[in-house]
Amino acid sequence: MKAITANNSFLRGISENKQEFLLKFLILGLIYALAFFTRLYSVLRYESVIHEFDPYFNFRSTKYLVNEGFYNFLNWFDDKSWYPLGRIVGGTIYPGLMMTAAAVFWVLNHFHITVNIRNVCVLLAPWFASNTAMITYFMAKETKNSSTGLVAAALIAIVPGYISRSVAGSFDNEGIAIFTLLLTYGFWVKSVNTGSILWSALTTLAYFYMVSAWGGYIFIINLIPLYTLVMLVTGRFSERLYIAYCTFYTIGTLLSMQITFVGFQAVQSSEHMAAFGVFGLLQIHSFINWARTQLSPRAFARFFRISITAFAALVGSALVLGLATGYISPWTGRFYALLNFTYAKDNIPIIASVSEHQPTTWASFFFDLHILVFFMPAGLYYSFTKLNDANIFVVCYGITSVYFAGVMVRLMLVLAPVACILSAIAISSTLETWMKAIKPNLRKTKNTVEYTGQKEIGYVVVTGMTVMLMLYVFHCSWVTSEAYSSPSIVLAANQPDGSRIIFDDFREAYRWLAYNTAEDARVMSWWDYGYQISAMANRTILVDNNTWNNTHIAQVGKAMASNEENALKIMRQLDVDYVLVIFGGLTGYASDDINKFLWMVRIAGSADPNVVESDYFSPEGAFRVDSEGSSTMLNSLMYKMCYWRFGSVYTDYGKPPGFDRVRSVEIGNKDFSLNVVEEVYTTQHWLVRIYKVKDQDNRA
Amino acid sequence: RSRRMEGIFSVIRIPNLKLKTPRASLPTAMTVFGILFLTYFLVLSGVVYDIISSPGSVGYVQDEATGAWKPEVFLQWRVNGQYIYEGLAAGAMFSLGGAGFMMLDLANKKDTLTRNRHLLILAAGVSIFVAYNLSIVFLKKKIHGYMR
Repeated sequence: MKAITANNSFLRGISENKQEFLLKFLILGLIYALAFFTRLYSVLRYESVIHEFDPYFNFRSTKYLVNEGFYNFLNWFDDKSWYPLGRIVGGTIYPGLMMTAAAVFWVLNHFHITVNIRNVCVLLAPWFASNTAMITYFMAKETKNSSTGLVAAALIAIVPGYISRSVAGSFDNEGIAIFTLLLTYGFWVKSVNTGSILWSALTTLAYFYMVSAWGGYIFIINLIPLYTLVMLVTGRFSERLYIAYCTFYTIGTLLSMQITFVGFQAVQSSEHMAAFGVFGLLQIHSFINWARTQLSPRAFARFFRISITAFAALVGSALVLGLATGYISPWTGRFYALLNFTYAKDNIPIIASVSEHQPTTWASFFFDLHILVFFMPAGLYYSFTKLNDANIFVVCYGITSVYFAGVMVRLMLVLAPVACILSAIAISSTLETWMKAIKPNLRKTKNTVEYTGQKEIGYVVVTGMTVMLMLYVFHCSWVTSEAYSSPSIVLAANQPDGSRIIFDDFREAYRWLAYNTAEDARVMSWWDYGYQISAMANRTILVDNNTWNNTHIAQVGKAMASNEENALKIMRQLDVDYVLVIFGGLTGYASDDINKFLWMVRIAGSADPNVVESDYFSPEGAFRVDSEGSSTMLNSLMYKMCYWRFGSVYTDYGKPPGFDRVRSVEIGNKDFSLNVVEEVYTTQHWLVRIYKVKDQDNRA
Repeated sequence: RSRRMEGIFSVIRIPNLKLKTPRASLPTAMTVFGILFLTYFLVLSGVVYDIISSPGSVGYVQDEATGAWKPEVFLQWRVNGQYIYEGLAAGAMFSLGGAGFMMLDLANKKDTLTRNRHLLILAAGVSIFVAYNLSIVFLKKKIHGYMR
């Protein structure tokens, strides 16, 4: 393109090309900075601390990797969790996150920028969010044009659905997984557009990074075959698709098997079979196409019939044989629950109990996406009016992720990027059409439409779009600040006079454990707090958030739900020294162990039929802790540990002593004795209560 | 065709059917888009949540003054729960907004009367305005202190 020195553009003396490049560079730079800084609310309000539960395990693993080295990390057997079973950490995690954090730490320290490993972990997710915005620009540019790319990058920098899992402090797999997901998809779209082996190889490298980062790589290895199948069915098979898919599948599978956790699952499990099937189908399709060029039409027809029946028989028998002998393992519960979404509720209580695994309501969609919910169908519409290879991929990605986000609220994270890209297509196309109405091109082609009032309507439409996008920004800032920036290890509440009180009870309790218990003491708590206890108190625990052994968790649940004598038997069997419970009755903290108690009973009941859920309900069938509650409930170990000494505490004005502020009732069993455990520590606001299992009496 | 087979036909009368293998043709792009749009509407209405958690079509709250039970369409102050009608209403709003932007594009197609263009643009403007504002009204019922 010839360089035009434009006199009527705002920068004189620079060619139009260079102006455009400068503008793009500036916009992308601002987006990069915006994506990072909008995620820093909790660091500014509280401190640079790791949030939630899972990130504490990742943090502990990263510290282990940095201290012990790469090979010790891969071979790590953790004997301080899941006592007495232990956990093979090296082979059961996705190491990408820890290795990325360790790599950043090593690089920075190599250049004598001495950053603490904790700060690296806390700030890794925001940095990767900035990179995600850049890669979204790339992918949207490949799908449509660079203006769409810029809009998509701007949208994803602040979309709440992505921010929720990538704030500073949220050191979890999803923080880097979304970056690697979009990297893989962006390179895939590029490789299908160009048909180059280089880009396909880059796709496989990105896929390898994704497999190392998150279990959600199953989405990639099923979406790309689905897309290929759609392309075959709609008659858009091309050489470029063939090259891209074959390179991706072969090298990608080999690379994914290098991750110990995946191993041979990549060729054995049902979740990967679709990719294998489509690979075979592609080969057959190309072979048939080649044979068509070699044979006469009649000979080809006979050959086609024979070969199709032969292939179908071969593949069918191989599949049946594989499934029957168990070589091909069936879909695991976690992923099967996504396809048959009623399965988890009836069959797998552990999966059904996690709040992130609940299905999504309309309010979650609107809260996490705001105006993107309006633009997404418009983006689908624009894609369908001008279908090409890249558009079909974005449509496939969009619809499948809408469905999965509807099934599980945690997967809103996977929907957010494609919502941004589809919305960007809609926004960019609309703005392009109506900006042309305001400032028409001098060249009139046969496609331009002109009618009265076009210019005025154009002004209205562009103003309206600007207003909507501004409202989007306000919404996203508000949501980030109020909803998604809580560290959850530290709680805050507003008092009636406007001041804030900070509840730092969790860290207080873990610190107490770290300083006041023996080094090899074993702590029993519900699995939610396992990772935090491991990381901050540095004590051996029985069950943690990994939830890999349902029976072990059921034993802990049974101990919590039984009366003192039976619980003592289980605790002696498991060598428990301390028991930790979370109690919210004094402060009104609703996510305490009494509210989780029914899940403990259900999980215990799934392993031991003697634990019956209906025993813990009142005669009318309600779950109550006041005088109407069932005696099994009022005598359980969990009840006694939570409400020990609570019967004499005044919690609220005008309420009797022992008034539980979460359940809003006065507790039923106030004067009881604790025979098997003794209280050793209760935090300032009674949030965490620690009990020691009493030693056996000396024989007289 | 053995002789034994032909003997059967002296007893059995063959019905005069003309069976043809059904001709399946690929649906057009816009048909597929229609199906996907319907899926989008259903999923964003929280139909999966409705199927799994089976909330009622509406909820009932007790009126403080009279003590009578009155129906409540929106489950207030909880984002992670909904009733069926409120989900469908919100989904309808989202689809209406999307349809508004589609109408905005249809208004610029070739060979359309100017009057139709203006009507389409008016419809699009009304749809988008109503859809956005109603969605915000609905959301304010679910989230305490939204945008304060």
